[in-house]
Parts: sequence; structure tokens; C-alpha cells
Amino acid sequence: MNLIPRSRATDWIVDARKFVDETPTSALVALTIGTVSILSSLGLFFTASPLTSVTLLVFLVSAAYGWIRHRELTARAVTMAMTASMILILALIVVFIFVEAWPAFDVARAEVFGISVPGLRLFVQTEWAPRAAERYSLVPLIHGTVMVTLVATLVAGPLGVASALFVSEIAPAAVREVVKPGIEILAGIPSIVYGFIGFTIISPWASEQFDLVGQGTYLFVGAVVGLMALPTVVSVAEDALNSVPESMKDGSLALGTTDWQTMTTITLPAAFSGVSAAVLLGVGRAIGETMAATVMLRNSPQLPEPLYNVFYGYDTLTSAIAAQYGEATADQLSALFAAGVVLFITVMFLSIGSQLIERRMKRQLGGHE
Amino acid sequence: MSTITSRNSLVNGGTNRYEFVAGATIALSALLFALGMTALFEFVTLTDPIAGVPTVSVLGGLLVLIGIGVIGLGVSSSLELIETTPDRSAGLVAGVVFGGLWFGIGGIVAAGILGLGGAGWILPALLLGGGAFAVTTFTREDIGSTVPAGVLAILAGGVFLTGVLGPGWSYSPGSFPSDNAVTFFPSVIVPGSVLFCSLLVGWASAKAYAGFGARGRHLGAHVLIYLNALGIIAVLFGLVGFVVIKGAPTAFTEVAIGPGVGPEVSVLGLSFSLPVSWPFLMNGASVFVRVDGILPAVVGTVWLVVGAVLFAVPIAVGAAVFLAEYADEGRFTSVVEVATNGLWSTPSIVFGLFGASFLIPRFGGSKSLIAGMLTLGFMLLPLVLITSREAMLAVPDEYRDASAALGVSKWQTIRSVVLPAALPGVVTGIILGVGRIAGETAPILVTMAGGTLPAGGETVDVIGGFEFIATPPFVTNEALLQASSALPYQLYALITAGLGGPQFEDAPFTALEFAWANAFVLLTVVLSFYAIGITTRYYFRRKLNR
Amino acid sequence: MSEPSPTTETTESESTDTNDPTSTRTAATASMSGTSTTTGESEEELREEWTDYQFAGETHVAAENLDVHYGDDHALKDISIDIPSESVTALIGPSGCGKSTFLRCINRMNDRIRAAEVDGSVEVDGVEIYQDGVDLVELRKRVGMVFQQPNPFPKSIRDNVSYGPRKHGDIRTGLIDRLLGRGESDAELELVERALKRAALYDEVSDRLGDNALGLSGGQQQRLCIARALATDPDVLLMDEPASALDPIATSKIEDLITDLSEEYTVVIVTHNMQQAARISDQTAVFLTGGHLVEYDDTDKIFENPESQRVEDYISGRFG
Repeated sequence: MNLIPRSRATDWIVDARKFVDETPTSALVALTIGTVSILSSLGLFFTASPLTSVTLLVFLVSAAYGWIRHRELTARAVTMAMTASMILILALIVVFIFVEAWPAFDVARAEVFGISVPGLRLFVQTEWAPRAAERYSLVPLIHGTVMVTLVATLVAGPLGVASALFVSEIAPAAVREVVKPGIEILAGIPSIVYGFIGFTIISPWASEQFDLVGQGTYLFVGAVVGLMALPTVVSVAEDALNSVPESMKDGSLALGTTDWQTMTTITLPAAFSGVSAAVLLGVGRAIGETMAATVMLRNSPQLPEPLYNVFYGYDTLTSAIAAQYGEATADQLSALFAAGVVLFITVMFLSIGSQLIERRMKRQLGGHE
Repeated sequence: MSTITSRNSLVNGGTNRYEFVAGATIALSALLFALGMTALFEFVTLTDPIAGVPTVSVLGGLLVLIGIGVIGLGVSSSLELIETTPDRSAGLVAGVVFGGLWFGIGGIVAAGILGLGGAGWILPALLLGGGAFAVTTFTREDIGSTVPAGVLAILAGGVFLTGVLGPGWSYSPGSFPSDNAVTFFPSVIVPGSVLFCSLLVGWASAKAYAGFGARGRHLGAHVLIYLNALGIIAVLFGLVGFVVIKGAPTAFTEVAIGPGVGPEVSVLGLSFSLPVSWPFLMNGASVFVRVDGILPAVVGTVWLVVGAVLFAVPIAVGAAVFLAEYADEGRFTSVVEVATNGLWSTPSIVFGLFGASFLIPRFGGSKSLIAGMLTLGFMLLPLVLITSREAMLAVPDEYRDASAALGVSKWQTIRSVVLPAALPGVVTGIILGVGRIAGETAPILVTMAGGTLPAGGETVDVIGGFEFIATPPFVTNEALLQASSALPYQLYALITAGLGGPQFEDAPFTALEFAWANAFVLLTVVLSFYAIGITTRYYFRRKLNR
Repeated sequence: MSEPSPTTETTESESTDTNDPTSTRTAATASMSGTSTTTGESEEELREEWTDYQFAGETHVAAENLDVHYGDDHALKDISIDIPSESVTALIGPSGCGKSTFLRCINRMNDRIRAAEVDGSVEVDGVEIYQDGVDLVELRKRVGMVFQQPNPFPKSIRDNVSYGPRKHGDIRTGLIDRLLGRGESDAELELVERALKRAALYDEVSDRLGDNALGLSGGQQQRLCIARALATDPDVLLMDEPASALDPIATSKIEDLITDLSEEYTVVIVTHNMQQAARISDQTAVFLTGGHLVEYDDTDKIFENPESQRVEDYISGRFG
């Protein structure tokens, strides 16, 4: 009787030993050489060494050997390495933008209850004056992003959900064949083209119509960004609506309810998590949208007065990076990376949040099938 | 069962005059909506006369008319002059909407027109808002959903008719400082309120048309949802059409087809003239050419896409194979899934920052084509991975079982059964992903951006750039390590450089025309990818269904 | 991101016997065996007197010269049948012969299928339901339906049962009504209780009316669906193989319930199971391949002494 529970680690060792026993030696050698060479390529690439190409060549040779002699094992190992690279890339993004942003956080320390908190001043002061005072603040940028995202969500949320209902529940087949690709194509129009139209047509029009000082409003940037986020909302929400079993809708209709009643009381509530995940993803898209905002806004980080004044648009997290990256140096560059960090974290939260919600929905409806 | 339930007749008799009025109100609302649109986009000026009457007055009159119409419908239903099936209340949602609306109107009128300063506007706003909420929710549906909408239309129409919002009228909120000032003119307020009122009245009269109740709500909601879908498609066609109209004439300047008219090219030592001359695509921009063009940007975009595809597609498809075929559901796959979805939603500018901090220092320290390629490749990875994996998971397990039952090994099964079956989905995913990255600006802005108006000589030559050397890394490519232009970046560069004035001194078109043509070419390239992708998917799906 | 499953539409239009995507596979295998055994089906002329069934009571549902097409597929051919009120009428026949299609014509659920085209006449309570201006809400209130797969809503048991009356405005439980003191929670509870008792489910769920209906067993879910249909106070109850997804015990409960219900309701039931039809129905209509109604008579007559050779072959299990 084994009283000591086998730990994960011993399990793993047993599995590994079994694997080694069952695999031919030449395959093991190729696998080892391949693993070592790809890892050292990575390491050498970090140090920007010209030798990277040599180790990469070794990897390719070992992979080619494995492909010829041990195809099954090689296919599995190579595809697994490719899969792992997804995690690696995300990790690299995290590390690199955090490292580059650190100086800005370090400079902008502030004391709270005697503890020095790095980066706090980025969020409590409101002035961005890189030339004159070397002061950096993310507050105006975050404010801009919030304004644009709010307007965009007001556009993309309701219109997107309504379009998803239209495409999945209401439209006759022939109409759907037109509307659905149409909405996808809307996502295909490059953001710089939206920005260009906004810059040459919408912004001047708005300035004239509302007698504004200069060009660039959060309102219309938000509307344009909302239009760009709309296809994301539509396609994800449509998936959610489609995953509600047809039999459930039939059950409601057979009781004599109208299509609209069935949609609002059966389909939408059953797909609620999926639809809200769609809106979250749309919000994520809106937050990350760069070029339309860069081109249409004023690119001078400051807060409008009063704060809810949507007719004056200065800068967002994304547009500040895009517009200032070229001329920024040292701390300013670092502050831009800090903006990138804020963006990244926010969007990652939204992404993970929407995934959790979607998973919950699958579980709930799964109980029915 | 005892009868708690109501019984109505199985067939609805037509009450013709009522339906006619309701139909007419809907039609008038639609007309007003269209008029409002034309006025908003300044195809019609408010002071211009329509049939001798100023446009403002026409709009006002029509608003009053539909307002009266819709109230009439509600009242005749409420007096049971006609047979309808209204609910007891128009519902909380309608109540909140109407309440909020009238709250706003009360506030604006009190503060802006009556001039009640400080918190003085709150009381009238609350009174009106509360009143509208009460009327909407606490009366029967036929009154509750028509009267607040109708009164609003009549009020707006009355204001336009009486000329309160004359040409000289304007309003700017006093609390806004002068450098953040906003002024509202009738040229926006009038079309805006016409659009809004016509939507409301259209919705209310659609409800009335179907006799209120469940069917009324159904029709009302369908009208709005159809309008929404129509609007989105209209915006799409409007955007694309606008870019084509603005950009195509410049882009097609002096295009000629015929033997030998095009520029000379040499392939494998053979040199010959192309049978097509398309200056805008085949020239660079400089004072030495007559028609400036965007050749370097076109070539740059082509190489960008090629590089990104070569880098990302094998990795993404390989990872999709692993996830769909080899991996068991476990911690590893769920981490990969979170990472992939995270990468999918990571903003493009963050990819740009990553490329700038990770790739540029390792490829010679300056912006370069290869940094752009790899950055876009990183972006392409999750797009291709997600669609490919879905395509592979959609291949029925029966196929795999059948193959495995014949004793075929796993990889052979994948290669000869799964991949061919999933190929259409994978290819579609790649095409759509390429369409997406081909139009990306932000990442290349910080990783590979070149000059604003590159001349023809600056066109990147990747194939000719390869060189073999004796020391590691043994092979170099100067072209890959240099900054290059690309279509979306060039459009951005043109915008920041300023769009006023001519392109060059003797250029046949202005900077603005040049930029529109650039936008047109970019849009054509990207949308072609989308069109091809969507068509292939449609085609294969049809084939699958048959 | 992902697209809707491309197969949904075809399953919808091809096999109307299955209204749930999950049952596609069983339908596919069933239809396969159907086609293979149909070869054993002998040729014979249809005779009008075989379907000319005389009965004493009133006619509740009457179809005349009813044809249904799904695109190119002629699913029902010239069906004429009178269904007497307050009795159980069983529709039997092999898969794909149009029984479910016919059932769905009676409450116009075929309107949901875009390719479906209905010609001919169906009268309920003497009113033609395929004329202009028919109120589908009213029709479906009078003609309730129970599906093959239990399809409760992901709501509480109580909300499931009171769903129909609430949507029709017969019971008010909305926020405004409650604020105004005209909420009818008591009436709702009473209705729920009555409907559940009628569907012989009340004793099993009386202490957990607030629980999610998806937590019930299959048989309970199906009885809940019957209670849900009864709550709108229909006259006709259509049942599309209501017991096919259930175990024998649950099936016998449903069968008892159906016999019980026929005292008050006109029940039309599609079934695959001939013993079931023989046990519970008063009259039986046999649909055979090609969408024809071949014979319609007292259940005893059909099962003991059918006129048609093909019906006899079918009943005795020679095909189908």
C-alpha cells in the first residue's frame, strides 16, 4: 500500500522515463539537439548575436533529419513548439513593454503613507509637458480613451446587438447573404482610411457646424471608432445567439408569442453572457483603436473643460503613442511605453473577462443538450 | 382549465381607415427621416424654399402633421373606436426613454431659453420628465406610447414653424470656457431633431399599425432593426463609394494599355516592356516624373505581407494542428487559448511597441522592413490560429476514426484527411487575416516607417538584396534592414505632412488628390483580400452543404 | 469569429421530423433504415374510402387537399382529414412520410421554415387558418404544441409554466404592475399549480417551483412542457413524438397523461411507436412514404383489420 500520494513531479518523471524507454535513440538525439538549438537560437537572438543563424541552421537540420526518420514524433514536437510560441510571444510582449516603461514609473514615484509608490504621479497629476517641465501624466490620455470608448460603446453596443439579432433571427436568407458580408467588410476597411475620411470630411464639418476652436472632437472620433468596433460585436454576438437551441425558440413560438417576444425573453437572456462578451470585446477593440484617433485628434494631451465636453478631443493612450513615438526620447519614450502598459493591461482584462463569460455560457447551455 | 386567458377572434378584420392613417404616418415619418438626412449633410439648406415655403417650415409642418396623426391613432384606439389589443402599459423601457427625453427637453428649455441659472433648470426638467414617465407607464399602452412621441413632434414642429430657431439663432453653453466653446446652430439642431422625432413617431405608429400589444411591439421593433441594418449597409456603401469617387480619377491618371507602353522590366536577364502603363502605381514620387506615384509603398506592402505570411502561417497552422489533433484538454491548452485570445485583442499599437523594443535593437537598431514583417507576423498569428483550429475541429471525427481504423498513423491521418478537409477554412482565415494586417498602420509606424514621398529609386528590392558573407550570420539582406514605405503608412505620412497645396511644383494633382488616390489603392487592395476570402468561404460552404 | 454551423438550415428543411439539431444523427439513421426497408413496400392504388372516416362528435380540425412543398421536395400530397374534438388522434408512419409536417401545419409552425410552401386548407374551429389576417398569436394559443425533445426554457419551473399567459398579457407580474399594486402573483401561482397538477407533475416539483427547469429529468421536463402548453388554455394539443426521448417509465406516465387529457382536449399525436398508438389513441391516421395519407379510421380497425395492404404490411412490421 502506498501511503505517500504520488506528487505531480514524480508522475511527470515516470511519464518521461517511459517516453525515453519507448523512443528510439536516434530520435531522442535529434529531439535533444533540436530543443537545445532552438533554445540557444532564442538566447542568442536576445543578445543580438550574429551566431543566431548558426544555431537556427542546426535546428533546421535536426528537424529535417527527424522529419525523414521519425515523422510522427517530429510532427508532434514541432507543432507543440509552435503552440508554445504563442505563450512565449505573449510573455515577451509583457516583459518588453514593462521593461521599457519602467523608467517612467521609476521617475514618477510618489509617497503614500510613507511608502514610495512607483508611477503614482503618472496617475495623479494632470499635466503632460515633456519639453518644458519633463512632466508626464497619463490622466489626460486615459480620459481621452474613456471618452472615445464611451461614445464608441454607445454606438457599437446597441447597433451591434441589433444587427446581430437582425442577421441571426430576423433577416430573410437572401438579405442575410448581403448584410453579413457587408458588416464583415466594414471591419476590413483599414483604420487609416476611416481616419483619413474623418480628418478631411468629418472634423472640418464638425468644427464648422459647432463653431469649435480648431479640429478634433471625442464625439466624432468615438462615433468612427464605434463603427469600426461594430463588426466585432456583431460577429461574436451572432455566434452567441446562434448557439441558443432552435428548439427553445420553437417552444416559445408554439405558445403563441411573437418573434420579438421570443427574442427578448428567450433568445437574448439565454445568450446574454455571449452577447455581453461580444460587447466587451467590442470595447477592447475601441480602446485599442489607434490610427483613426491619431489622425482625427489634436495630439496635445490635456483635459477639456468641462470634463464631459465631447466636442474637444485631445489625445488618447493609443494616439499619443502613435503621434509622439517618432520624436520621443528617454523619459518621454518610457512614458509612452507606460501608456502601452495601461492599454495592454486593460485590454487583457477585457479579453480574459469575456472568455470567462463565454465559457460560462457554454456550460449553461451545455446542461440542456 | 378555467379560463383566465383572454380570447380574441382568430382572424383580424381590417379597420381600413385606421390602418390607412397609421400607414400614412409611417410613410411620412420615413419621408421626414430622409429629408432630415439630406438637411444634415447639407444637400438642402434650411432657408431654401421647397415649393415656395422655406424648408424649415416644411419640416415643421410635417412634424406637426405626424404628431397629430400618431396621437389620433392612440386616442382612437383608447376610445375603442377601433379594435386593438393594447397592453396595460407601454412598459418600463419606453417609460424611461420618454422620461429621460422630456427631462432633457425641460432642462434645455429652462436653462437655454428661459435662462434659469444655477440649479433652476432642474425643477422644470424633473416635472416634465416625471410627467412623461407617468404618462408612458401608467396609462394604457395605446396612449402611453403615442402621446409622448406625438407631443414631442408637435412641439418641435411648432418651434420650427414659429421661426424661433431662425437663421440668426444660436446657443452655446455658458459653462464652457472660450477655448473649449461649443455653439449649436439651427443647421444641426433642426435636422437632428427631425431625425429623432421621425424615428420616435415612426416607431409609435408602427406599433399602432399592428394594433399595439405583442404584435405592435413586434412591428415597432422590427422597423427599428431593419432601419439599423439598412443604415449600416448604407454607411458601408457610402464610405467605399466616396473613396472610389474621390480617389479613382487620380489613381487612373494616364493609364494606357498597349504593347510596349509600360516601363521596362527585366526578369532573369530578359528585359521587355510591360503592355500596361499605370503611372500612379508604377512611378515613385519626385520632381523628375510627370505623374507622381506610390510604387515604393505598393512594393513595400507586398513584401510586408509576404514576410508576415511566411513567418506566421506555418507557426499558426502548426499550432492549430497541435491544439486540434494532438493536445488533450488541460492546463497547457487553456493557457494557450487565453494567450491566443489575448493576442487577438491586443491593440495593434502595443504590437508596434513590442516590435520597436524587441526587434529593432536586434536588427541593426533602426526601423527596418524585417521588423515590420515580423511585427505584422505576430499580429497575424492569432488570427490564423483561431480560424485554422476552428476549421480543423469542424472536420467530423468519423473521418479521423475511419482513417485510424485502416491503421494509418496519426500524422498521415492529419496530412491526408484532416488538412485537406480543413483547407478551405484555413485558407479563408489566412486571406482575411492578411486583409486585416495589410491595412494596419500603427505597428509599422513605429517599426519600419520610411519617408513621406519616396521616389521610385527607393523601392525596396528584397530579392536583389541578398548577399552571402564569410562571417556569421553568413547571409545578409540590406533591403530587409532598411526602412521602407507601405500603403497605409504612406497615407498617414501624407496626412501629417499636410494636405494643402500641390504635390510638387509641376505635379498634375494636389496633395489632397494624391492622398485620396492613395486611400483608394489601399482600400482596393484590402477589400480585394476580403472579397476573395468571403467568396471562397461562401463557395466552399455551398459545396459542403450540397 | 466562428460562423454559424452551415448545416443547420439543411437539417431544418430536409428532415422536419427533427426540430432539434441534437437529434439529427438519430433521424439520419432512422431515415436510412426507412429507405432500405421501403423497398419491401408493395405498390397499390390509394382509395378515397380508406380515409373517409365517419365519427359521431364534432369536427375540430379539418384539412382539405393540403399540399406542402419544401423547395423541390413535395412533402405532403393532397391530405384531407377531419379530426374529431376531445379525443386522441394518432398519426403513424415511417420516417419522412410527412406526419410531423402535417402536425406543424395545424399551428402554422411551418411558417418558421422559409422554404416551406403550404397549399390547400386547414380549418380550426371552422375558421380557415391559411387566409390573410389570421392572428398567429391567437391560433397558437388555441393550438398548443409539445415537441419531440423536451425544450424547457432556461428559467424557473414557475416562469416556464406561466410564460405563455404572461406574454399574452393575461397575467401581470411586471415591475410596474407590482408597483401599482395590480400584480397578480397569486393568480400566477394558482395557474402554475393548476397546470402542473393537470400535467401530473405538481407533486414532484411543488417544493421547488423556483428551481431552474433544466435541472429536471427528461420525463419531468416533458411533462413541464405539457403543463406549459396547457397554461395558455388551448383546445387542441399537438404532440410530436413526445415520448421518443424518454425511458419506459416516463413514457408510461406521459401516455396515462395523454389519455387523461383527451377528456378535455383534442389531442393529435405523432408517434413512431405503434403499440403506443394502439394503446392511447381513439383513431389512427397512417401516412406512408411519399407524403400520402393512406388510411384513417378507428384505431382498432386500423390495427386489426386495415383495408390497405401496405398499411397492413406496415402495421405488421414488414417495413418502416
